[in-house]
Amino acid sequence: MSLGHRLARHIQNATFDRVTGEGVANAEVNRGLIEQSVLTLASCRLGEGDSAIVVGAGASLHRRGILERLAASKYRGTIVVADAVLGGCLRNGIVPHVVVSVDPHPTRIVRWFGDPSLTEARDDHFQRHTTQLGDEYFERQEFDPAIAENEMKANRELVRLVDEHGPAIKLAVATSAAPTAVERCRAAGMALFWWNPMYDDYDSPTSITRRLQRSNRLPCLNGGGNVGTAAWVIAQAVLEKRTIGLIGMDFSYPPGRPYWKTQYGPDLKQMFGDRFEEAFIHIENPHVGETWFTDPAYYWFRDVFFEMVRRAGCRTFNCTEGGILFGNGVEVASIEDFVGTLSK
Amino acid sequence: MKEFLKGNYKVETEIQESPDAEAAGATDEFERKALSRLGGSVCFVSKKGFVWTGEEERGESRA
Repeated sequence: MSLGHRLARHIQNATFDRVTGEGVANAEVNRGLIEQSVLTLASCRLGEGDSAIVVGAGASLHRRGILERLAASKYRGTIVVADAVLGGCLRNGIVPHVVVSVDPHPTRIVRWFGDPSLTEARDDHFQRHTTQLGDEYFERQEFDPAIAENEMKANRELVRLVDEHGPAIKLAVATSAAPTAVERCRAAGMALFWWNPMYDDYDSPTSITRRLQRSNRLPCLNGGGNVGTAAWVIAQAVLEKRTIGLIGMDFSYPPGRPYWKTQYGPDLKQMFGDRFEEAFIHIENPHVGETWFTDPAYYWFRDVFFEMVRRAGCRTFNCTEGGILFGNGVEVASIEDFVGTLSK
Repeated sequence: MKEFLKGNYKVETEIQESPDAEAAGATDEFERKALSRLGGSVCFVSKKGFVWTGEEERGESRA
């Protein structure tokens, strides 16, 4: 078994270790803001029919012009998106019905909604601006060319777009979400619909999930490892959509992308030195005739998705035209075929 | 292996882990600890439904 496959076996526990402490602490901070549950979204009018398109933030969106094609398709069903791709949607004239946010990171997640303090800091306090931009996370692994080319300009535009469209957007927000992101969304006029991440087996007497649910009475959602999968869970299990199209759900990196420009590339290099390339797994996608590569975390996301899709009461079409998510219950189609025929 | 060999008797033969097994265990442990900075942004719980609304309601989970 390769290093990458061996590491992937541990990602479930690593995720628990990584997010649980901060997520539960954020639930306490966010507690006073909770007014309505994510389950009430099911009774909201969110597009037409019983189909949905779920949008992740993968590179295929930009390689294949998928957002532009979605905008041109005049799709009238429900659109549920991961927070990281909100900016890309708004820049293409797509105002999603629901945005999903769950990650507890204190400084990064707010950037997906446009961070007004980043702009102010640059204008008035150069030192602080330098510190904030010192996080090379976005420059390194961002697929959206608008952000990769000029972070500050993209941020200013995103602040304006989110402020303009916020009142029309519903935020399906986990109690684990970063309070900075929550506050930004409230300020932009988004309506907040809350849920708890399912951290562990709620049937265990020492379950963190059970304790959290007892304390705030919110429903607990099985998040599937990443916000894109959580968005799909909301579309099919909360909104009860029966036909779902996925775009930007690559769980991998396109051919030719340098390893260091991946989410975990630098961490893997630090951990495994010269062996770090062995941690990446290459998978041929016969639908596009390309070999994409993935890291242990993204590979685990894919395994989890396959496990979940088997139990879902919906058909799932991957319209992303790239990546490693196909087969095992995930059908493949173009965005045009999904909108024109399959979603009807 | 040793933790499974318990009883009210003594085994005359000393049980030794094979070097390969010990090395594999150490590698596994290193890799597990090394992953503390990796991982997703939300947990996944195997063999559970998509939604759990708490124990006070019947039909509490949606598969």
